[in-house]
Amino acid sequence: MAINSQHIVIIGGGPAGLEAASCLGTAGYRVTVLEKEKQTGGKLLIWDKLFPEFRNSDKVLNHLSNGFKTNPPQILTNAEVVSVIPENGQHRINLRDGQAFQADTVLITTGFKLYNAEKKEEYGYQIYENVITSFDLEKQLKTGNPIRIEAGLTPRRIAFIHCVGSRDIKSGNIYCSRTCCITGVKQAIEIKRRLSDAEVFNFYMDLRMFGQNFEELYIEAQQKWGVTFIRGRVSEIAENKDNSLQLKAEDTLSGRPIKMSFDLVVLLAGMVPEPRTVEIGKSAGLEFTSGNFLAGLDSHISQNETNTPGIFIAGTCREPLSVAETLTDARAATVKMISWLRENETSHKKPLIKRDND
Amino acid sequence: MGKLYDRLNQDIRFIEGLNGCLNCGVCTAICPAAEFYHYDPRVICATVQSKDEKMIEALIRSETIWYCGECMSCKTRCPRNNTPGFVIMALRKLSQELGYFTDSEKGRQQFAIKRAIGGNILRTGYCVNPDIVSPQMHPEQGPVWDWISMNTPEIMKKMGSNYKQAGVGGMRAIAPEVLEELDRIFEVTGCYTLFDTIEKHSKHKANELGIEISDEGIGNEYFMTVYTENNGSHNG
Ligand SMILES: Cc1cc2nc3c(=O)[nH]c(=O)nc-3n(C[C@H](O)[C@H](O)[C@H](O)COP(=O)(O)OP(=O)(O)OC[C@H]3O[C@@H](n4cnc5c(N)ncnc54)[C@H](O)[C@@H]3O)c2cc1C
Ligand code: SF4
Ligand code: SF4
Ligand code: SF4
Repeated sequence: MAINSQHIVIIGGGPAGLEAASCLGTAGYRVTVLEKEKQTGGKLLIWDKLFPEFRNSDKVLNHLSNGFKTNPPQILTNAEVVSVIPENGQHRINLRDGQAFQADTVLITTGFKLYNAEKKEEYGYQIYENVITSFDLEKQLKTGNPIRIEAGLTPRRIAFIHCVGSRDIKSGNIYCSRTCCITGVKQAIEIKRRLSDAEVFNFYMDLRMFGQNFEELYIEAQQKWGVTFIRGRVSEIAENKDNSLQLKAEDTLSGRPIKMSFDLVVLLAGMVPEPRTVEIGKSAGLEFTSGNFLAGLDSHISQNETNTPGIFIAGTCREPLSVAETLTDARAATVKMISWLRENETSHKKPLIKRDND
Repeated sequence: MGKLYDRLNQDIRFIEGLNGCLNCGVCTAICPAAEFYHYDPRVICATVQSKDEKMIEALIRSETIWYCGECMSCKTRCPRNNTPGFVIMALRKLSQELGYFTDSEKGRQQFAIKRAIGGNILRTGYCVNPDIVSPQMHPEQGPVWDWISMNTPEIMKKMGSNYKQAGVGGMRAIAPEVLEELDRIFEVTGCYTLFDTIEKHSKHKANELGIEISDEGIGNEYFMTVYTENNGSHNG
């Protein structure tokens, strides 16, 4: 297979980065993936089962790794990118350890960070021992161990709180994180599967079941698993003497303020951009959305191109997305990158990987 | 008269207080008044936001708007930066201006507040002080209050206050020039006009009900009626 000499660097080896790498490799491009962790896979390494079909996240990871049969990319781990500087029609990618790479085009797929739920102090995360985040729960589920609260007991009443750090001017994030509603449904079902006697409640403002089979999963949660959904945003949580938690909300559909006790409260914390991604964006002269995610050139017709020619973005570094959407987005970005590389092929560049400290 | 909604929109507290409510219920969940009364700040925002004139009129004629304790807890939590407490203030003002407050038991208490607290401030510079809180009118203070009110000067002295004396310190006498300043503030800010409006509508109501009302002070039948009446349907 003829390998194109043009060089593409993908920053971030999560679902978006890996999917883009396999598409571009198959199309005959020379690709380098820079991943800051010691392993690629992004959040898929942490999540247990994936909505909507409860497939093990490993399955998707395997699929992504199998995409590399033809022309596999060069994957560098422990390689944290700190800046991208446009230079002589190319791009210079700087790592934290001082290494640098040259690329004809760059795809940023650095993903998202979980909103720091400590900031909503009224929910008591890191204050009350039985208040955890969806991230913490996912890690616990992945161990396969029985679900326990801090005292080693089995929780009997569990609450999920939606929109923690999203849709909230007070926390600075006006946007909806999109996937936390369905994550709440997924995790509620997963708890009922493992603890059939537990009572599980979800406190929501709106349920955003936009994806294929999401609404079906919501119905299943209600009908098959007996999960209760209460429409009301939680105002605060307090700890009782026995370490159980008292939660205050309004049941807005019946118009009554309610107080309920729970053994475990799970905060569905939203998605926020990685601070490092913001730095990279600034170094490359990119623009940002109102939520500080990397902004595409146009919200309808070119979401993956940026205002800096040759720099592309995909996945949750540009907006909250599910895995399926992330992969679609990554594939879409590669089409735009290939067009761009074709148009810029004529220029005489030396596209070899160059390491400054070689 | 103009539309009620338009009149609300002339009140800075309303403009600041309601920026589009998404009906999440956090304000109600944090609201102490909602715990005790038939009161729901979320519903108030939804009602006003509907711009339905009939519903807004019903609201400012109702008991509901008088349940809020103006604690502003709702301000601290609302994800849309609304302040239902401010919305309530604007609704109350409108209810006072239009005289609708006399339609409700809690609303009629505006007269008692105006005559008692309003009078206290102008006379003494204090909303309340121990001399004003009489045991007969305030059984909630408990039996010890009898004794305290009979021995106020000695007790105040023991507690180290500057009771009714000129100068600085707690419970001091407020200087005449300060009282004059208060008087001017009430004049300039329209407080006196509002007082007159409350008086006018309350007298009208008293006459309608055939209850005796005086021009000043709290020693009249209408005052005692609005001060004590309780139909028992505000909570529970
Ligand atoms: C609690 C929770 C549960 C979820 N469950 C599901 C689910 O069941 N099903 C589903 O479809 N979606 C789920 N999602 C959403 C899913 O996690 C995302 O769609 C997906 O992770 C997005 O992939 P990504 O590649 O954009 O980002 P990430 O998964 O965040 O990957 C980004 C990668 O970039 C790397 N990186 C970051 N910065 C740098 C840098 N400066 N230099 C080099 N590398 C860098 C990171 O280390 C990481 O490997 C869930 C989300 C949450 C919060
Ligand atoms: S997806 Fe649901 S929980 Fe998440 S921010 Fe949007 S509405 Fe809130
Ligand atoms: S200001 Fe009024 S509405 Fe707001 S929380 Fe306090 S009592 Fe409730
Ligand atoms: S907290 Fe704010 S957005 Fe929520 S119901 Fe109250 S006023 Fe509306």
